[in-house]
Amino acid sequence: MANEEIQITNSYLTFQLHNERFAVHVSKVLNILELVPITKVPKSPEYLKGVINLRGSVLGVMDIKMKFDFPIIDYTKETSILVLQVVIDDDITDVGAIVDSVHDVIEVDEKQILPPLSVGIKFKSDFVTGIIKHNKQFIMVLDMDKLFNTEIKAAIEELA
Amino acid sequence: MDSFQKKFIEEATDLINNLELAVLALEQDVKNQELIAEVFRIMHSLKGGGGMFGFEDISHFTHNLETIYDEVRNGNLPVTEDLLSVTFSSVDHLRNLLNQDALNNEHIKKNHEILLERVKAILQKKDTLQVVADEEQVEEDSKSKLQTIYIYFAPNESIMDNGTNPLYLIDELCSLGTNSLVFPRTNKIPMLSRFNSSKCYTAWEVFMVSDVNLNEIQDVFIFVEDESEIEVKKIADFDVLANENFIEKIQNLYQKKNHFDPAVIKSLVKDIANQKKSVVANVNEKLKVFTKENIISSIRVSSDKIDQLMNLVSELVTTQASLSLYVEENQVYELNLLAENIENITRQLRDTAFSISLIPIETMLTRFHRLIRDLSTEFNKNIEFITEGAETELDKTLIQGLTDPLMHIIRNSVDHGIEPEDERIKKGKTPQGMIYFKAFYSGANVVIKIQDDGRGIDLEKVKQKAIDKEIIASDAKLSEREILDLIFIPGFSTAKNVTDVSGRGVGMDVVKRKIDEIRGSVELESKENIGTTITIKLPLTLSIIDGLLVVIGDTKYVMPLNLVNKIYAYEHETFKNAFNNIVIVDGEQIPFYYLRDEFEIPGTPLEVEQLVLVKYEDKKIGLVVDNVVGEYQAVLKPLGKLYKNHEIISGATILGDGTIALVLDTNKIINEFSFKN
Repeated sequence: MANEEIQITNSYLTFQLHNERFAVHVSKVLNILELVPITKVPKSPEYLKGVINLRGSVLGVMDIKMKFDFPIIDYTKETSILVLQVVIDDDITDVGAIVDSVHDVIEVDEKQILPPLSVGIKFKSDFVTGIIKHNKQFIMVLDMDKLFNTEIKAAIEELA
Repeated sequence: MDSFQKKFIEEATDLINNLELAVLALEQDVKNQELIAEVFRIMHSLKGGGGMFGFEDISHFTHNLETIYDEVRNGNLPVTEDLLSVTFSSVDHLRNLLNQDALNNEHIKKNHEILLERVKAILQKKDTLQVVADEEQVEEDSKSKLQTIYIYFAPNESIMDNGTNPLYLIDELCSLGTNSLVFPRTNKIPMLSRFNSSKCYTAWEVFMVSDVNLNEIQDVFIFVEDESEIEVKKIADFDVLANENFIEKIQNLYQKKNHFDPAVIKSLVKDIANQKKSVVANVNEKLKVFTKENIISSIRVSSDKIDQLMNLVSELVTTQASLSLYVEENQVYELNLLAENIENITRQLRDTAFSISLIPIETMLTRFHRLIRDLSTEFNKNIEFITEGAETELDKTLIQGLTDPLMHIIRNSVDHGIEPEDERIKKGKTPQGMIYFKAFYSGANVVIKIQDDGRGIDLEKVKQKAIDKEIIASDAKLSEREILDLIFIPGFSTAKNVTDVSGRGVGMDVVKRKIDEIRGSVELESKENIGTTITIKLPLTLSIIDGLLVVIGDTKYVMPLNLVNKIYAYEHETFKNAFNNIVIVDGEQIPFYYLRDEFEIPGTPLEVEQLVLVKYEDKKIGLVVDNVVGEYQAVLKPLGKLYKNHEIISGATILGDGTIALVLDTNKIINEFSFKN
């Protein structure tokens, strides 16, 4: 039992945005959905794609790629929605995040996670909490709480 | 804070509410022993619970109050005006104390100390009062504490062997009571041939009226306990033997049977008790309300669970809708029946689930009783508060949203409505003013009426004020209705002097806004010198609305049906060529908003589009959409945190085919767009 728990707490789900790999701790991920039609909410910022019906409740969906200035491409059949549990304004809430494709779950020893570099990387490091070196590839661990919170603040500014 | 403390706070809140209710009832009937006992019991529970869960302040504070009510209960202290007012202040203070850090607040701490002093003062007064009180109470006490006791005493045959005379015991027993009936049981006495004169064959049954407690009676038999069968039972809390009917019946029973059946006695006593009750029923009506609450069997469920249940039911309703849709499209005969059944059950389940989240209006009435009591003392006005339909049920969120506006309306009635006593007498009215609160169902709505018989609203004054404030032109011709509606306009307040009670910078406009927020409407009627009536109409629940389903582009939207006035079809050209966004409808100029453009929805518009007229304040505004689908019962769902600052969409609903329709807040849309333009 104890062993299992430790393993679980060290699992990360990896996914693709453009040509970079990212990871999020599995405790944050509730579900992975294939892309379903999204109902656009009028007068909302571009990266808030709209809402979907998730088993009877309404789930807001965001295209997180837009946060990273990646080129926007059309959605493919690989495109997925990660249902994440994040903390917004001290409340736990479910949100959807659109990613290009979902890869596997990897087990990572905490020691393998390196602190993010403050210089020399091409992405805004605010949302990157660490870097995993896995099979000679670098994977960035994202802080989804921060990402969605900042997203909302940006949204408010744009609306105003 | 741990979960036990949370539980205690919940419980204590209930207790404090009950306390307030009991004290209010006690004020009407200061000699009511049961109410006094109830107050004492609540104080006692608060003290005990407070101590156990670390609310030392509450425990400490209630300790002295408990002592007072113990003295009151024992007849050593009268219920005085002073005591009641201290108790009322204490009720408020106790609510504050539920916050553990309350005493860190200077103001509360001061209040705490003052109250403690007042309580102590009352306790000290007790000694001087006692003599007087004693005399007053003597008669009452001896009467009220009498109880009727049934004693069954069957000694062993050998009881007389050690020199005990059972008759002496019976005599001693009877001397304890004020009145008694003794029935010997002689059925065990054998034939003379077998009769042994040194043995006791008799048993006794005694009905006794006494004020001593059962232990003292038991003590009479202390030396023969082991050698006899003894039963001591209280059968009534009052003097049954004073009732001749009872004695007669008992004697009849005695002759017919050899042993009194406890069940028969019980029913006899009950009959008498009921007779007694019907006499004092009027006095005790308030108390009855009170006990009724305790009898209703109910369980406490956290509101989270109810919310969850409602979500699941809504989900079921949606799923069922898609099943019906599927059956209709595919014409599967076997499924048809099943789908109908499910629809039926779902509907019942939905109704039941919704009724769970409803709570009676009664829950907020205590607060109003209290408010009126406090205000009438403060303004020296004599006001009776009559309520009707307190059992009417409303969604809990509605009740929360209603309390403040209702408080405000009642404050207004007390402050501005009801005249002082002398003024009322001059006008030929009854000296006592009246505020009448009535709640009832009307279709899918709940209506709340608050009526007072005060001075009413002076229309001229209202008009003059509106002119002074440049809300209307000085030569404006207004109907009575229009003048009254001025009161709801922001920044309007008729109070000549700003009093502590009503003129707090918020007026009826705030009341209206708050009620609008919970999708209700408010209306005002007033006759000078006869009174004012305010009528509030509310939807039964917040989670389902009747809506009009419309389409723009490939998205469906729902508009609240109660705001929709009429729908017209027009060619796209009409809107495109319209000057200044105004169309002429039925000879009227109607400003409109072309939602496809306002929402920045791509695509080509249809040739014929629909103009939906919606009510906005007292105007009609057009909203242009592609198509109107029809009426739709929408289960409202929040859009979620990502869209929490999105005002023009108030929520979403899931349609039968699983797609989402967005619920439009037409007021906010019009506000936003008109502001922008």
